[in-house]
Amino acid sequence: MAVQVSLAPDFIFNVGPVMVSNSMIATFATTVLIFLAALYVRQGAGVIPTRVQTLFEVFVDFFMDQLERVTGSEKQARKVFPVFFTVFFFLLFANQFGLIPLLGIFVVGEEGVPLFRTPTTEYSLPIAMALTVLVFTHVLAFSLTPLGHLGNYIKVGPIIKALKARSLNDLAMGFVDFFLGLLDIIGELAKIISLSTRLFGNIVAGEVIIAIISSLFFFTQFVVPLPFLLLSTASSFVQAIVLPFLGMLFMGNILSALPSKKT
Amino acid sequence: MEADVAKMVTSAAVMSVGAFTSATGEAWIAKTALDGMARNPEVADKLFTNMIVAMALDESTAIYCLVIALIILFVV
Repeated sequence: MAVQVSLAPDFIFNVGPVMVSNSMIATFATTVLIFLAALYVRQGAGVIPTRVQTLFEVFVDFFMDQLERVTGSEKQARKVFPVFFTVFFFLLFANQFGLIPLLGIFVVGEEGVPLFRTPTTEYSLPIAMALTVLVFTHVLAFSLTPLGHLGNYIKVGPIIKALKARSLNDLAMGFVDFFLGLLDIIGELAKIISLSTRLFGNIVAGEVIIAIISSLFFFTQFVVPLPFLLLSTASSFVQAIVLPFLGMLFMGNILSALPSKKT
Repeated sequence: MEADVAKMVTSAAVMSVGAFTSATGEAWIAKTALDGMARNPEVADKLFTNMIVAMALDESTAIYCLVIALIILFVV
């Protein structure tokens, strides 16, 4: 039996020049889900935590701990906390979207295009997430020390210093530093690809494996995909943590490389 | 060799190499983490979180291979 694996999403309708795909519809549904979850957690939340509140406070504590370690102070951590936690919280819900039962019965058109598709299986969304985290980091570093941040990538400082000191050895090392700085720019671009592909690949892998297993034979549709479902649920959860976590680590590297950081 | 057969063989080769290397790395991560936990059970919780994150990072190389195999099979 052939399995239909499509890496590109199906487009449902147009709003002006914007093509609305089925994963975008699922993204909106995820937003609604997050809204409902927030209302549910807010209900009865207080100094004595309810059971759901405890669960979410564990997440908040984990991220605050990591951010304090990266940025160095609680005040600074509180400033950047919303960006990373929003990304985490969105991915937490978006990655598990496929677990909602009976979503496959919503189809449109004659060909039966599914109305919902797990949001992170469209490559645009992981790329948007990775760009949000990384661009935020660079804007933050640039606003702290503009010249210092640019100087970490276009390293003309050592060359000028060597020219002033008239030292040929230092000049050679300065040129090496300059080209290493250019390589860092390529490294920054590679970070976008690596972060987004990691998320995209994990979610797609889970869905494809379940699709292949359940389409092998008639009797493998029912109980056999369960362990794979469990595995993909676990890896989706871990990936939701890993993307903002790596973003934090990159932010820590970039912020600590700034000269004379005043935080 | 026909193009379809070449695609299948290439993607199978990509996946087997990717899965083998990443599995070896993950086993090594788990081994060292378990060693650390057995030697020092107080830090077991901290080690476990870091182990999971490290494993997810390691797994991503296999995931890159999977994406490449999927691209070879279905897109190119």
